[in-house]
Amino acid sequence: MKKLRLPGNLRGLKKAARDFWFGKPHGERRLGELYVDKTGLYKHREWRGVKDTLYYFNNVWLYNYGALVGDVVKYSDPVTFVRGLWRYRWIGQAYLPVLHWFDRGLEGLRGEALRASAWHYRAMVCVSVNQIGNLLKADAKLHNGAHNDAWRHTVAHKETVWGGVFYPWSDRLAHVPMEMIPYFITCHVNNHVVLNYIDAVQGIGLPGDPCPMCQAEAGLFVLDDMPDYAPFVVTTNEACDGSVASAAIQDWFLDRPLFALPQPMRFDDPLVQEHCANEIRELWKFVEEQTGLPFKWELLKQNLERQNELQRFEWEKWDVAARTFCYPINSVAQALYRIYQTQYGDHPIWHITDRRVGKIMNRCVEKKIDAFPKTRHRVIAWSCAPLYYSHWCTWAYNCWGLNTVINMDSLMFDMTIRTDTQENCMLDMARYHEWAPMRRMVVGGMHHIFELWSYMERFRCDMVMMYDQLQCKGMQGVVGLFEDEFRKRGVHAIWMPHALPDKRTVSRTEIRRIVNDYMTTVMKEEPLDPSLLDFDDDMGW
Amino acid sequence: MRDLKHMIFFENLLQEANNDLVKQARGEGKRALGYTCYFMPEVLLDLPGCFSVRLRAPRSGSPDMATYYMSNRTCHYGRALLERALEGGFHFLDANLATETCTVTCRFQEHLERMGVIQNPVFFSTFTDVPFKKNENSMVHYRKQLQAHVLDPLREKLGVDTSDEALLAAIEEHNEVCRLITEIGEYRKLPNPPVTGYEFHVIQLVTLTCPKYLILPYLRETAEELKTREPDAKPPFRCRVVLAGAENDDPAFTALVESCGALVVADRYCYGSLPGREEIVVPEGQRPLDAVARHYLQTSCCPRFMPQEQMRERKKYLADLVRAYHADGLIVASNKFCEYWSYERTMDALILPRDYGIPTCSIEKEYVNASTGQLRTRFQAFVESVEIKKLQEAK
Repeated sequence: MKKLRLPGNLRGLKKAARDFWFGKPHGERRLGELYVDKTGLYKHREWRGVKDTLYYFNNVWLYNYGALVGDVVKYSDPVTFVRGLWRYRWIGQAYLPVLHWFDRGLEGLRGEALRASAWHYRAMVCVSVNQIGNLLKADAKLHNGAHNDAWRHTVAHKETVWGGVFYPWSDRLAHVPMEMIPYFITCHVNNHVVLNYIDAVQGIGLPGDPCPMCQAEAGLFVLDDMPDYAPFVVTTNEACDGSVASAAIQDWFLDRPLFALPQPMRFDDPLVQEHCANEIRELWKFVEEQTGLPFKWELLKQNLERQNELQRFEWEKWDVAARTFCYPINSVAQALYRIYQTQYGDHPIWHITDRRVGKIMNRCVEKKIDAFPKTRHRVIAWSCAPLYYSHWCTWAYNCWGLNTVINMDSLMFDMTIRTDTQENCMLDMARYHEWAPMRRMVVGGMHHIFELWSYMERFRCDMVMMYDQLQCKGMQGVVGLFEDEFRKRGVHAIWMPHALPDKRTVSRTEIRRIVNDYMTTVMKEEPLDPSLLDFDDDMGW
Repeated sequence: MRDLKHMIFFENLLQEANNDLVKQARGEGKRALGYTCYFMPEVLLDLPGCFSVRLRAPRSGSPDMATYYMSNRTCHYGRALLERALEGGFHFLDANLATETCTVTCRFQEHLERMGVIQNPVFFSTFTDVPFKKNENSMVHYRKQLQAHVLDPLREKLGVDTSDEALLAAIEEHNEVCRLITEIGEYRKLPNPPVTGYEFHVIQLVTLTCPKYLILPYLRETAEELKTREPDAKPPFRCRVVLAGAENDDPAFTALVESCGALVVADRYCYGSLPGREEIVVPEGQRPLDAVARHYLQTSCCPRFMPQEQMRERKKYLADLVRAYHADGLIVASNKFCEYWSYERTMDALILPRDYGIPTCSIEKEYVNASTGQLRTRFQAFVESVEIKKLQEAK
């Protein structure tokens, strides 16, 4: 055990006192030494100074552990929850390490950045527990095969169907994306869980090269690890060929009424909007037929207006991120919160969070607080991120001063929806539906992928973290054109290979090594925290 | 069997995209229009004054330049096409009528557009959005797309006559090709067909890659010849199979299957005739374009269609083919990195044996089948298993 040594002189004592009170300055923290080798677990939590450590302990750690219990009581009932925990491996394996997920994403943060980012995490946990509650309450598998009232009043849909299409029934139906918790959120929290599902679908003969996200989504059904919580299903072709194809496997296993909600691939074509709007109308007819519950226009309108409020605040955030150095939200919080919020649709916690974050952000701007003072490069992250290492950007800032200001997923759904007339509303809903993650820029026309350059300018970025999802055919199909453009424009770009949820293809360690290599050999820079250069967290959550 | 009179000529036509008949048609002032997918109705590209060429990259090697642009983790077919384009093999094209129906061929076509690969001053490329369903909304959408992204550009940029009369004439010519291919294909239902799977594959491919008006005389003659062609008394085949799956424009692959003892009696793959060579019917009072749009959406069995009934009908369609062509089994082949067919093949290999009792061989292949040893072993084993099953059933 390492012995505590007291400094031998006054200067040392003063520094020790300052470090105790304010926390060590960036560069002296040696955060890598906090890890237990090979596990990614902490020997002890980081000392962030008295104020921030107390804040973290009280407002993040205790508060969220309390909320994890409170939300279960609020959205479900403890008995059903425990039965679900026992029945579905993704609940137990993802529920318990939630606070470690906070720790990883918020590592090294101080002051306003810590507070604003933590609220984003809290909101995501709240909505997740809400969804788990809805899943389990309605799950026939947990109720001896009985189809209860909750089952009859829940809509199951593919996670890439925008939840907003169910707004007209928000007072009578719950909607739960099938894979969002079992696959998407789970993967962020505990990267081991989904591997099992990928193996399962390959076990029935699927080759290993299709998109691993779709593989994992299909594997949930192969292993019968999906609750039976709704009488019908809505699926979509968003985002890619793999999504279309995996819908067939899901249909086979689910064997219940299914509505396919397609999004046109050439979404820039003005001719496609009416077609897309008509498909949404067809969906609404289907929901009415299946549930016997009428469509409510006023309810749709109210929900959309609330959603528009969220979008307007997002634009404020982008404005602060683009024009100032005061943006207090770290990249992983920004990316995950945004994608979750926009994909799931309106929820009260988003508004509560935005109000809290708005206050923090305004304080930063008014007081000119530099939330990420050790920024050496302003980075834009482009394409699809590695789900098993979404917090790479926290590491990159701590280790190299790479501040990822914005990312591609955040920039999707970049619009409000008109509610003045039904016609305008339908056209905007169609457009919104088409501008989903992994669609607007990754597949569906090459034009938007190259909006990277204008966003770099807008957010004053000098580096690109180019996600290289090895099994995404859409992005693999343009790698050469990006290489050409990077060279032509003299842009520093780091290609980050990964396989979305499958850490076995490119490990976190390998990703860090690639960034380290670029920063030392190309950028000729020294790390801010050398203890973070090389550590093994392969067995970690 | 005695060789078909035009088989060597047909084989030669498949040696390159810009083949002798394409050159002849261009020499006669016709416009060459490229496309890759069944969802681009070839009949619209065969209007008077132009002709369709379904793009292939025969005799491809390693697509090094295309791999730089599209990485080695994308479908070899898409990369082979881009390589051929970068090599200059598609400079004869006057236009490319693109569809975003699978990601990698879409990316290939976007490269054509963005990089200015085709050195032909009149060349242009347009994209058609293809629906994922067969409902009325999709029909209307598809028709509008074909009008806006196929007929209008052809008229405006190349001066092609796109009137209903011209369209009807193209449909008539197209239907004759379909009748002939269907007539030839029907022989495959016979116990001892006078045409092999390989020969049929070659004949079907030349109809996709050559100007219709130039290939028709040869087709007519071949159909006539087959009426009296005597099959071998003891054919070398030990079983009959339906070949299904992803893009397959390589007759050598069919030859490989047949060399293992399995006669290919039906071709349900991209570039195949089932579906694809059904006649287009224009009902009284309907515009020809409406009928074309409806026909191509209705006949397609692409795994891209998402509605539940279509996902399930596709399996039944395969089972029906097996019965109609008296096949003993099914071979489903997908190209490596093809997302659609990776899943479809997996499902076919599970559902067809289980629900329909059809022996199924599921394989993954490359666009260029350079190393065929492993495939040969798989096919031989499959043929043996089918033979054993037949013996057991006979007992």
